[in-house]
Amino acid sequence: MQNDPVDVLVVGAGASGAAVLWSLLETRMKFLCLEQGLRISDMDFPSRDADYELARYGRFSCDPNVRGLKQDYPINSDESCITPVNWNGVGGSTINFLAHWPRMKPSDFRTATLDGVAEDWPVDYARLEPFYEMNDRNVGVSGLGGNPAYPNYALDLPPIPIGKLGQTLANGFNRMGWHWWPSDVAILSQDHEGRQKCVNAGTCDLGCAAGAKGGANFTYWPILENAGVELRTECRVREILVDKGTGLATGVLYHGPDGRVHEQRAELVIMACNGVGTPRLLLNSRSGMFPEGVANRSGMVGRNLMFHPLTGVSGVFDEPMKGHEGPMACSILSQEFYETDPDRNFVRGYGLHSGRSTTPMTFALGGYGIDDPIPWGNQHRFIMDDIYPYLAGLTVVTEDLPEGHNRVTLDPVLTDSDGIPAPKISYRLGENTKRMLEHGKERAKEVLLAAGARKLLFKDDNTVWWRAGWHQMGTCRMGHDPRNSVVDGWGRCHDVKNLFIVDGSIFVTSGAVNPTSTIQALALYVGECIKDNIYNLFE
Amino acid sequence: MWSEAELRVLSSILDELIPASPDGRVPGAGAVVAAEFFRSAAQYAVDPVGAIDVVLAGVSAMTEDFSALDRPERIEILKVVETETPENFALLVRLAYMGYYSRPEIRPLFGPGAQPVHPRGYTVPDESSELIDRLTKPVRQRGRCYRT
Repeated sequence: MQNDPVDVLVVGAGASGAAVLWSLLETRMKFLCLEQGLRISDMDFPSRDADYELARYGRFSCDPNVRGLKQDYPINSDESCITPVNWNGVGGSTINFLAHWPRMKPSDFRTATLDGVAEDWPVDYARLEPFYEMNDRNVGVSGLGGNPAYPNYALDLPPIPIGKLGQTLANGFNRMGWHWWPSDVAILSQDHEGRQKCVNAGTCDLGCAAGAKGGANFTYWPILENAGVELRTECRVREILVDKGTGLATGVLYHGPDGRVHEQRAELVIMACNGVGTPRLLLNSRSGMFPEGVANRSGMVGRNLMFHPLTGVSGVFDEPMKGHEGPMACSILSQEFYETDPDRNFVRGYGLHSGRSTTPMTFALGGYGIDDPIPWGNQHRFIMDDIYPYLAGLTVVTEDLPEGHNRVTLDPVLTDSDGIPAPKISYRLGENTKRMLEHGKERAKEVLLAAGARKLLFKDDNTVWWRAGWHQMGTCRMGHDPRNSVVDGWGRCHDVKNLFIVDGSIFVTSGAVNPTSTIQALALYVGECIKDNIYNLFE
Repeated sequence: MWSEAELRVLSSILDELIPASPDGRVPGAGAVVAAEFFRSAAQYAVDPVGAIDVVLAGVSAMTEDFSALDRPERIEILKVVETETPENFALLVRLAYMGYYSRPEIRPLFGPGAQPVHPRGYTVPDESSELIDRLTKPVRQRGRCYRT
């Protein structure tokens, strides 16, 4: 295996790694990306199989602990009410993400100033707006302009159909006088730049065999590889190397497909392994200079882990909702309760997301992310015949505030197949989040009834969905102050000048929207900053 | 692995877990889920065959011929077994659902097509711009709803 030094080494071939590489292409530097997983062809996605739903519970589970593939690392979530989910491979978790594409909102970047909680970001919406637009063009985003919940922006493609389910719920929101809008989605509503439009298969989590979903495997990577970026798969990084004399990163050690440990040297190292994978590698990179992990003089690496805790309410309607037809997570989105309202007993807010319902097996097993099967026997017959076809649901997606005790550490025992310590998640819901979930559940009930639901289904307890750790944020947060942040305002580690982070771990707050649009916009922004500072990058 | 008699009992158990619809439109799981599915289910559970063995043993300890019982009696027995060995019973339920609803002939009875969803997918008509305009009009009329 060739290990000649490169100019830029990116660790991780997912959403953020691909985007930052695209941004840097024009510098004509020598690029290498190390990815622990494999390439997967759209021909290998399980939605082409007759028994496609089974894959959700085996090789295509969103949960790496269920998949247990060689390229996956186990995650110890025993001390968490939410377990992280992901995909390890070219495209990262955009392989199995659901492509809901809302932007963060202006207030999300200013929570300390506006609401007295958490910290303001070093960047704001206006600074990121051109990068949102740039990324939307690269990915192919469908939606409807003019959403009064955002500063105005236009999208290239019209919205995907919201369907009978979306129309029904929209009428309910209108009756309540509440905000809603067709979802922005990284899914093609029309054939676009050589890619096929969505065929409404409803299995976005099983890969998109149509190529309509804007995963990095379909968008950025074909461009990057055509431009000469080297992508090495089955290469798992175990440690970031730092020179004691200069304090600069010199490269990484990684396990290659040959089973051996290799050293890869680079002028610039960019971490793009998501909000669990990146702190894991930083914490595992201990040296005399960094006894608590590289770039961790602040002690903040791994802390402030944020998810988006979820709960849901479903309504049973009189007519079939055909919820299995169309993209899984995206129909309409209400942000009526997104901004802080002093009359409520919590700060910040949440969104009400209308996903579609799912296929019969997944429903019978309790729904996506839940795995709590419906009853057997006569009750089963009744639920599948008289409930399942008539369902339309709302998911309450709450903003998670950063709390230092919610964190990623290294498990003292558990390792991956190369012997690298596995991440351990310590996470509990904040009181603010619990109040938000309760409020959201009640509002979801109201709007479903207003939409015509004849019956409501919800969990009586206050548990959140277990396999809901899609959005992993905050564990290497941005900030101006090296004492309480890991990277500066453009993604560069305070402690190591040529080490950058571009994934969700640099989020300061979480917002209450799916983060991939913001992750990629941030990666493009960091790339732009690197280019702007290329002549004095290490000063 | 399983004798003919055990397979008959397993089939009857499956018919109680997912019963047929009274009009016969939807078949019970006993007629749909083959024993082979459980034998190949190690990718979904640690020891599926062992769990089913435990459930079968629990049933046979309570009756010599489960299949000959009427439905209320079968259900009573299954509830007892479920209480006595909840983890094994839960795994059988879970695998029964997986084996049943993964069958292409079953899906259309609940809406989705029998075929793999790719490449054909489903036809969902685009809403007209007039419909979307009408639906979003009240939202637009209320005006801006974000802070800076």
